[in-house]
Amino acid sequence: MADGPLIVQSDKTLLLEVDHPRSGDARRAIAPFAELERAPEHVHTYRLTPLGLWNARAAGHDAEQVVNVLLEYSRYPVPHALLVDVAETMARYGRLQLVAHPTHGLVLQATDKAVLAEVLKSKRTAGLVGDRLGDDSVVVHPSERGHLKQVLLKLGWPAEDLAGYVDGEKHPIDLSPTDPAHEDKPWAMRPYQQQAVEGFWHGGSGVVVLPCGAGKTIVGAGAMAKSGTTTLILVTNTVSARQWRDELVRRTTLTEDEIGEYSGARKEIKPVTIATYQVLTTKRKGVYTHLELLDARDWGLVVYDEVHLLPAPIFRMTADLQARRRLGLTATLVREDGREDEVFSLIGPKRYDAPWKDIEAQGYIAPADCVEVRLTLSDRDRMAYATAEPEDKYRLAATAAGKNRVVEQIAAAHPDDQVLVIGQYLDQLEELGDHLDAPVITGATTVRERQRLFEAFRSGEISRLVVSKVANFSIDLPEASVAIQVSGSFGSRQEEAQRLGRIMRPKQDGRTAHFYAVVSRDTVDQDFAAHRQRFLAEQGYAYRIVDAEDLGVVQ
Amino acid sequence: MASTPPAQRRTFPEALRSRSDEHLVALLLQRPDLATPSPSTLRSLAARATSRTSLDRATARLDALELQVLESVLVLGDQPPPRTPTSRPAPTRPTRGAPGDDGAVTVDRVLDALGASDADAPVVRAALAHLEEAALLWDRDPSPRTDLAVAPGLSEVLGPYPAGLGPTDPSSPLAARPADSLTPTGSPACIGTTALDDLLADAPPGARSILDALTWGPPVGVAPRADPVGREATTWLLRQRLLLASDERHVVLPREVALALREGRTHARPLAHPPEPDAPHFAEDTIAAEAARAAQDAVRLVAHLLALWQASPPSVLRAGGLGVRDLRRLATTLEVEEPSAAFVAELALAAGLVVDDGEDPPSFTVTVAGEDWLDLPLAARWALLAAAWAGSGRTPWTVGSRDERGTLRAALEPDLTRPWVPRLRSDLLSALADRPGTALTSGDLLEVLRWGSPRSVPPLQAIEGLLHEAHLLGVTGVGALAPTGRALLRPDGAAPVARTNAPAESSRSGAPVLTSSEAALAAALESVLPPEVDELLLQGDLTGIVPGRPSTALERLLEDAAEVESRGAAITVRFTPESLTRAFDAGRTADDLLADLAGHSRASLPQPLDYLVRDTARRHGRLRVGSASSYVRAEDAALLTGLVEDPSLRHLSLFRIAPTVLVSLVPAATLQAALRDRGLASTVEGPDGRVVRTERLRTTVRSRVGGRRPLDTATRGRSAVGPAVHQEDAAARRERYAELVPRLRAADDAALAAPPTTTTREDVAPEPRGTTEPPAALGLLRDAIDAGDHVVLETIDPTGQPTRRRVKPLVLEGGRLRALDPARDAELTVAVHRIAGVFTDAPAPTQDASTDATTNASAGAPND
Repeated sequence: MADGPLIVQSDKTLLLEVDHPRSGDARRAIAPFAELERAPEHVHTYRLTPLGLWNARAAGHDAEQVVNVLLEYSRYPVPHALLVDVAETMARYGRLQLVAHPTHGLVLQATDKAVLAEVLKSKRTAGLVGDRLGDDSVVVHPSERGHLKQVLLKLGWPAEDLAGYVDGEKHPIDLSPTDPAHEDKPWAMRPYQQQAVEGFWHGGSGVVVLPCGAGKTIVGAGAMAKSGTTTLILVTNTVSARQWRDELVRRTTLTEDEIGEYSGARKEIKPVTIATYQVLTTKRKGVYTHLELLDARDWGLVVYDEVHLLPAPIFRMTADLQARRRLGLTATLVREDGREDEVFSLIGPKRYDAPWKDIEAQGYIAPADCVEVRLTLSDRDRMAYATAEPEDKYRLAATAAGKNRVVEQIAAAHPDDQVLVIGQYLDQLEELGDHLDAPVITGATTVRERQRLFEAFRSGEISRLVVSKVANFSIDLPEASVAIQVSGSFGSRQEEAQRLGRIMRPKQDGRTAHFYAVVSRDTVDQDFAAHRQRFLAEQGYAYRIVDAEDLGVVQ
Repeated sequence: MASTPPAQRRTFPEALRSRSDEHLVALLLQRPDLATPSPSTLRSLAARATSRTSLDRATARLDALELQVLESVLVLGDQPPPRTPTSRPAPTRPTRGAPGDDGAVTVDRVLDALGASDADAPVVRAALAHLEEAALLWDRDPSPRTDLAVAPGLSEVLGPYPAGLGPTDPSSPLAARPADSLTPTGSPACIGTTALDDLLADAPPGARSILDALTWGPPVGVAPRADPVGREATTWLLRQRLLLASDERHVVLPREVALALREGRTHARPLAHPPEPDAPHFAEDTIAAEAARAAQDAVRLVAHLLALWQASPPSVLRAGGLGVRDLRRLATTLEVEEPSAAFVAELALAAGLVVDDGEDPPSFTVTVAGEDWLDLPLAARWALLAAAWAGSGRTPWTVGSRDERGTLRAALEPDLTRPWVPRLRSDLLSALADRPGTALTSGDLLEVLRWGSPRSVPPLQAIEGLLHEAHLLGVTGVGALAPTGRALLRPDGAAPVARTNAPAESSRSGAPVLTSSEAALAAALESVLPPEVDELLLQGDLTGIVPGRPSTALERLLEDAAEVESRGAAITVRFTPESLTRAFDAGRTADDLLADLAGHSRASLPQPLDYLVRDTARRHGRLRVGSASSYVRAEDAALLTGLVEDPSLRHLSLFRIAPTVLVSLVPAATLQAALRDRGLASTVEGPDGRVVRTERLRTTVRSRVGGRRPLDTATRGRSAVGPAVHQEDAAARRERYAELVPRLRAADDAALAAPPTTTTREDVAPEPRGTTEPPAALGLLRDAIDAGDHVVLETIDPTGQPTRRRVKPLVLEGGRLRALDPARDAELTVAVHRIAGVFTDAPAPTQDASTDATTNASAGAPND
């Protein structure tokens, strides 16, 4: 006991010493109930949360197991209060159960009458439940199944959902054994993808967290194959929708005819339908006009791509879909609006999570070198910055003229790489495009033009591309190996991670990817950068900080 | 009272006098109130020992068993004695009454009355010994333990219903028959029981259950009115004198009947042992680890408080406490609840680390001792806190509640001290120590303490408060006493170690010196603390982790340069520009800091951290702020250099802040005058830089002396609470008593040998033995009440004339004496303060000349 790899803190964080010989065992042992919070180089931080503990209960672990794991791997005596708290928290799960009643339909049943009385007294459950069937059960409106579960979670009495899922309309889907894109060579899912699919299927619904470039689409395809039913896939934008379609055709037995696109441009409903969030949230005269899509077929599986971007209206609509299996996919489940919990309660708990560095170590994503380039502003710019209105300061600092020269310098240092320049402000991007003599893709660029440019970039026809935030997500650019970020949406952590994700596809020659963030020294730009980098830093991507003046030396 | 050969009987003072010196010292140690102030003679000691206050005090400390023994002796003393061993066995075991022991209250009778089993007997005997030592029981017979009696006055203290028994009823059908009518084969109790059974044979229904309900007390019941069955039964019982009507609505069970129902016992079972609460047990490791954690936290919180108050001392309320807002601020900064914050503040005050500085306006300031404390190693810091806590009489748990006048009680208020707190604390710790590894709740402890002192049960709130404090301080872990807590108890398991001298005193010569008990405390903590770790794992995300308890050096480094994110067995810190700025403020340099960090880190420093340190250092101090009273500026830098170098201007303390600007600490007018004196034609500028006329600048600014006045911690302000109770060392006390006792005895012998000195009027014939000393007089009265003797009472009548009469004292209670005047066959009540003297009934009394003619305090009236 005196030599465990784990240190249990009284604030419910678990510190795992990575270099310890037993750290692997300890990691596997605590994974079911502890959330990985930070994974830098030496000590990984996990946290015990009620949600995590309840998920563990849902997965069949009990408090005794959790306590034993903590005691077994802990280096120091485990705080007694924490053990008591773990036991008490886990004991709260399952006092309430959602079951399918033969005559009353969906019913909330209590093994502890007092708990039922307590939750029914709460204002939050008003309207979600129907008639009392006795002092230990109450009818639940089927449409409020998700909402009720969410409310119960907030009240601290999570319900065990035993009502099961509808099977959905059967539609055979299989993974294709060969890969047409690679001369029909056989392929198979990677071990972690396999584990993710298994984890999801076992749990019923939930979220799979994998780094960018680690093949989340294939996890989706695997889940569809496992389900073998009609599937609705919700994605962020049209380009992404087409990538999904291509990937599904390549990886599964589905043909183009079986896959429909439901977007602003086309409204097809096929056994597998890919819809954009945008079209679902389109309102006309105050009503969502495309909601019927959700009921258009008896979907057996709903896949949410980039679930961290799920807009609030979709949350509400999704609440009605509780009887169907739901799979959320994301690389970065951090939301600056702090609604991670809603994702968990509506889509389902996290079913699989892998630290980026682990996947990198297995060679499935490219190693990345992150560099923050600090640019000292010219005296003229500093004066302008000092006297600017607060709301203009970020823009002024982020678009400082000196950045163009820095970007040129970096691009020049990578003559043989596919370089992506990413920014927020359009005029800055135009200017950079001119400097680098590279095409610019912004929100104004047509889908056709975008696809053409991306294709040209992929094939190596052009090696420099300047993009706005439209390329933040879901754009697959396998050969891009250098990204230069000049500006971003303030301090968004997941944007930073997603942008890094653009260059993390493993390269043919195993090259290291380079990610540069160009930052103006001593300005809000620097402060935001520090916040943006936090997620990646916690995933073990340590940023080197280089002064712009020293760039030549470093290269 | 049974007749006993008077020759063998002695009085309480005589019994006291016959004690050995050692035995008397033991008494004084048991009841220190008897020796303070020192009594003059043994007789006055005896009087004092039988006074209501002293008896109250003494009985307050008795445990449940000792009280049972007292009650039992009291009741047995009033009862007729058994003559012969019983033929009818008691339910548990045969009675032990020895044949022919003549009605005396013997140990065996007490054991029987208590229903003590053989296993209980040693405990009961120990209780008897303790009571004898405390002079609450005494031997009427010179041979020890053959005829026990309770100390005079004790029956009043024990209340009207000792052992839940009602009043005696001489005319009860079960009243003891004359001695000669006793059969040789039955004890009176058993006879009573059989007689009662006979009586009840034809009782109406319900009578038995009424008696049963009252049997074990309280003996008073409400007479049933509505229920006809009950009413009939009650009436029947009253008619049979098995119940007595105490008033219109209540009935009382007479003692004789109750004893018969109890089969001669006074108690159902002896409360020989304290209750054993059913509480969870914990492994020693767990307890020690929890205590160590709490101890570290407590030390950290106090250190945090000192840092906070060093920066901004909170002001003292008019009543001497800490304001609610300051307490809230403290709680927020320490990230604890307000009650815990109040405790931390009280702890710092008790340890003399902060003090009301008595300035105008007063504030709570960190003392020199407090500053020294910060430099001590962890264990020593904790030891000083724990020792201060052990001796403190403070009641921080009452902070925030309202007193009788409705005022909010503030933390650090002088009024929060209660003298009973240290004793209760040591009782609690002892109770915990008696049950190692057991986590007792406050409710459990209340039950244990209730057994330990049923006549003074501590308030639950205080138990909860002290238990919580013990928990916060790391004296307990998971609710059970930790090794740290055991170190607080002296080896004999009695009183906690308390620091007798103020910590400030020992610190005057430099670092505080730990006393041996404090060193023991420190060692105890040291034994449970996890080993120190001197390693810091630095990571690329600007966090660092100490995988264990940091060494002092490492802790200080982190305190200076990083923000703590998570604390527990390990410490997680984050380096931020703000935290590094703090380090640079404290005088560290970038290189120094990096070297220090690298020294603690196994791997090389992560580049981002290195960059952050250097970047923050670069930005640190780019703007400089200072204060000056005046400045000199000139275009000519050389001229200014001349001024700085000029020895005759040194008193101006000129300082160059730019090539063309000098500043000075003296006011502009002084500076101007000095420069003029040196022959420099300077002009004075106004705030806007324009030249002003000199005359308008004649105001002088008083320069304020910075820095805090060193505080004399010895002269502490009005809230000097410190270790509240001055606890005289037990050994010293024993020594003092050992000297006192022979003096008392000598004085007593002298008083007996000398002629009576009570009144010195010539016209009075030789006085009977007696006294005018009030305490002794009361003692004599109690003796007389106890023995049923007569005394001559001298009272002062309303006109101021002394009056004497011969009376039989009955009750001495509430400042009044009730006595029977046999001559007039009337009862009289005298206020105690009117009693001028009490004299034992002399065989040949004289007619007092000054006696009022109408008073026929006829001497010589035969006594019974």
